[in-house]
Amino acid sequence: MAYLISEEAQDLLQDVKTFCEKEVKEQCKEYDASGDWPKNIYEKAFEQGYQALEVPEEYGGPGLNRVDVAALIEQMAIADAGFATTISASGLALKPVLIAGSKEQKERVCELVLEGGLGAFCLTEPGAGSDAGAGKTTAVKDGDEYILNGRKCFITNGEVASFYCVTAMTDKTIGVKGMSMFLVEAGTPGLSTGKEEDKMGIRTSNTCDVVMEDLRIPASNLIGEEGKGFSIAMKTLDQARTWMGCIAAGIAQRGIDEAVTYGKERIQFGKPVIKNQALQFKVADMHIKTETARQMVAHALTRMDMGLSYTTESAVAKCYASDIAMEVASEAIQVFGGYGYSREYPVEKLLRDAKIFQIFEGTNEIQRMVVANNVIGR
Amino acid sequence: MEMLVCIKQVPDDSVEISLDLGTKEPALIGVTPVVNAFDTYALEMAARLKETFGGEITVVSVGNDEVKNSLKNCLAVGADHAYLVKHEKSESLDPCGIANILKKAVHDIEGELETKFDLILCGKESTDYASSQVGLLLASKLRLPVATNIIKVEPMDGIMRIKQETEEGYRSIEAKTPCVVTVQKPDYDPRYPTIKSKMAARKKEIKELSPSEEVSSMLEVIRVFEPAKRVAGIKLKADNEQEVVAQAMSVMTAAKVF
Repeated sequence: MAYLISEEAQDLLQDVKTFCEKEVKEQCKEYDASGDWPKNIYEKAFEQGYQALEVPEEYGGPGLNRVDVAALIEQMAIADAGFATTISASGLALKPVLIAGSKEQKERVCELVLEGGLGAFCLTEPGAGSDAGAGKTTAVKDGDEYILNGRKCFITNGEVASFYCVTAMTDKTIGVKGMSMFLVEAGTPGLSTGKEEDKMGIRTSNTCDVVMEDLRIPASNLIGEEGKGFSIAMKTLDQARTWMGCIAAGIAQRGIDEAVTYGKERIQFGKPVIKNQALQFKVADMHIKTETARQMVAHALTRMDMGLSYTTESAVAKCYASDIAMEVASEAIQVFGGYGYSREYPVEKLLRDAKIFQIFEGTNEIQRMVVANNVIGR
Repeated sequence: MEMLVCIKQVPDDSVEISLDLGTKEPALIGVTPVVNAFDTYALEMAARLKETFGGEITVVSVGNDEVKNSLKNCLAVGADHAYLVKHEKSESLDPCGIANILKKAVHDIEGELETKFDLILCGKESTDYASSQVGLLLASKLRLPVATNIIKVEPMDGIMRIKQETEEGYRSIEAKTPCVVTVQKPDYDPRYPTIKSKMAARKKEIKELSPSEEVSSMLEVIRVFEPAKRVAGIKLKADNEQEVVAQAMSVMTAAKVF
């Protein structure tokens, strides 16, 4: 089973599959062990234009609908979730500009992405995780410029991005209503990166602190209006978290693929272990969960494409897909038995990769708050 | 430099194909059709030549409408024009029949594009039936020089300098242009189609040609069959070498090896 996609996306899917099989899947093992960012793999992927999948057609993008893109991103996630996260995090950083930016800003970031650049979305701070409004980064207007100061943490693509969408307080006295969003290009004096995280999973993606010290940017780099930063960030995450569900479903699918292949090869008591109904039911449950997650992702994305509300659906998709990715990855290890626990085999990585999807872009507890608020009403 | 690359659509060669016991034909349902690997090397070689020496690349294939997808894939990795010679039963044609059709296609395409090809590239063989004959027969019918198993070709002062791979090593050849080459795997891989090139290729037209005259085959396939499955070996156990050799000799004698 898979996403229902257009004929042209089916064609592209075959190419992405071939590319990921030949250039990503096996190669990423080494980088999963070392934690290094696989620049050469990403350069090849950028040549293919994978980072630009979410660039709108009017700005030079491929003009695919969101479900089409999801099928391609899932294929990348099947190969390596960190790889898909890097690609998708760039799409995340595009969103504040696409949601609230000026035409010039949209043209600029899309140009950067089409040239092979990545974006980084900078909201989280050491003291502002789930409580994103508690950020301490400030932006002070000085003539035609803003001066930014502060430290962001857990920033995907922090060290490798060409542009950053950064939230900062333009008025600290009025809470989240004093938060604004800014576009910062790589290389701007005052912008640096700090500690790189030595992560449990998605180790082929880069995650680090992004530091701003008297960073001066033109006032025209304000995205939307002053005071709208929190709202833009929430709208961004509303959309972006479905994509995390998409990658999580990809991790789960890899778990199924690996479990089935191994289950057919592994002989115990004179027959392949998959011949045991206990394991067949396990695989069935893995598939039921994964397919349900995938279709929830597709549903949320279809609503986005149709211009309908998607906040609840997006939260459901992200929360459910990441929860079942953990379960499916764990069951894949179970099918492998002792070998599944060994780093020589591909399934323990899936569990490590899956865990972050319950945490970032809004923890699953936050997702449940979003869902509850929308179901119960305030 | 004007180049023509002849391609064949074949079943994905990374998939193990079995024989359909009902039809006695290879079971190809669900096997993705792809461009023959050696033809992709030929196209990549042409694309690199185009990047260095300019000119255009035309791809041509013989088959039904399904082959158009493979031709579009070629347009996404360097080809400028694509032609399909419509033939509903191309799989039943022998290499000579295909070469006849291609010969006419070469003339038709040259007429339509108002050009003359300097170089015609074919894969050295197809990964399905591997006759290795089409390139040679095409050259013969066009009365052009031909070099087989080549891994490099370069135009120089009106001739083609060719590097051919042989069992023992390499051979340098010079050929007058135009000429035909059949391509072996070079030391590089074909490029991947990019999202952009693929989307653009999908919008390009695949022009159709007709084989016109009736093409018949001189060869007839009598039977398609799988190689005999290897049977499990015999494990010999004995206390010493003499005994195990004696056992082996008696097993081989019984099997009429001698």
